[in-house]
Amino acid sequence: MEEQVSGAIIIVDFEAADTLALTAAPPPACIEVLGESLLARLVGAMQVQRIDVVTILVDDRLAPLSPAFDSITNIPAQWVKNPWHGATETLRNYKDRGMEMAVVMRAAAYAEVDVEEFVRFHRAQAQFATRAFDAHGPLDFWVVTTDHIREMEDVGREMETSPARYVVRGYVNRLTGPRDLRRLVTDGLGSRCQLRPLGAQIRPGVWVGEGAHIHRKARIVAPAFIGHGSRVNSNCLITRGSSVESNSEIDFDTVVEDSSILENSYVGIGLDMTHSVVDGCTLHSLKHNVTVNIADPALIGRVAARRKSSPSSELPLLGLAQHIICARYQRRSIDARLANKYSLCL
Amino acid sequence: MFVSRPVVVMQLPESLDLESARSVLQDVEPLLGAHRPRIVFDCSLVRSMDGAGVETLLYCLEEAMKRDGDVKLCALSPEAAVMLELMRVDRVFEIAATSEESVRSFNAIPADADSQGAPWYAAVLGELGTLKQAS
Repeated sequence: MEEQVSGAIIIVDFEAADTLALTAAPPPACIEVLGESLLARLVGAMQVQRIDVVTILVDDRLAPLSPAFDSITNIPAQWVKNPWHGATETLRNYKDRGMEMAVVMRAAAYAEVDVEEFVRFHRAQAQFATRAFDAHGPLDFWVVTTDHIREMEDVGREMETSPARYVVRGYVNRLTGPRDLRRLVTDGLGSRCQLRPLGAQIRPGVWVGEGAHIHRKARIVAPAFIGHGSRVNSNCLITRGSSVESNSEIDFDTVVEDSSILENSYVGIGLDMTHSVVDGCTLHSLKHNVTVNIADPALIGRVAARRKSSPSSELPLLGLAQHIICARYQRRSIDARLANKYSLCL
Repeated sequence: MFVSRPVVVMQLPESLDLESARSVLQDVEPLLGAHRPRIVFDCSLVRSMDGAGVETLLYCLEEAMKRDGDVKLCALSPEAAVMLELMRVDRVFEIAATSEESVRSFNAIPADADSQGAPWYAAVLGELGTLKQAS
């Protein structure tokens, strides 16, 4: 008999929002990875597994990010004060609709779970809930039977204490920080997991999203991903598993190496962006393990903020300091010793 | 007899932006005007730095080098290191872990060790340098 669940609850709670340590960043589930957010990928995965009803419960403290949620999936998010209480209500609702089993998951990690096998295992356990585990411990992923849901007061606690354990054999990334995010990107680009870049593969290992603009003098060295609507300007180099997510811009002569530029981010002229994750004006360096907020819009920032500025104010945004440095590099009359030193960084 | 010129160690402020860079420049300007200025910027307190801050450091280096001196950085905070690497100037400066190390590196070769007339390589090559000069 084919095992089938009819409902899935995806919980986006407030606690998950800060895990990537990028200020003002949405929860990891909403962050775009290789062209599509993990939440959208989760919903897609549920639909592939023939789960009819998907409910997205979002902590209402994340309300400032509501426009982001609206654009992620075609399923409207339900804003609730306590997503776990919301999950209880939803499970009761599923029971009333005749659904026998449901998948409950917290959108905080990326896990490749064979739901059909998980459900089969759960049925064999004859428990209220079965929790998924990997080699590092429990995952926030359960299969729940709705039979006795009405008698339960705190479904969340029942799920937490459930003795049934299903060991996930697929790829798991807990997304506990920017380092994990980078690992997910490189694993996706290297086909080490099922996450695939959303775009056309224009060369082996180079994916480009729809409407991306890459200057003919820019170099994209595989593996790399350029998201839809992004812009890579002249003399740029994007390489070593870097991803430039949608609607971002990499300006003239900048190198992006082993880095992720999150959506709608701008990276300025003549920069070396290495081993980093950039989200607007926030840069997390994996090399130095530090998050830096850069207030200089000539260096990094939001694309939207730049586009709002009028063309006449474009020049100051390019950064006077940067122009001076570039001009300085090109000076021929400079003291020979100084020129030698500068040439090292050309 | 060689007279070793003093090495000045300056602590940079927590935030090196346009405003604070001006004040740093005011403090350092008299030193840059001297012959062979030897300055160490201690970056241990720096938590944020913008383009103007980096430009100020480069200006100091350029002025020092014009007078045959040098500007070195020491005790770089991770934030300062990120900014210098981002703006491709980390390789321009000599960077040490501590101010003592920076000062020692200045004193390794006394500033006035080589006489004005001798070629720059004389101190390094010794007699070979003299031979090259003779030929």
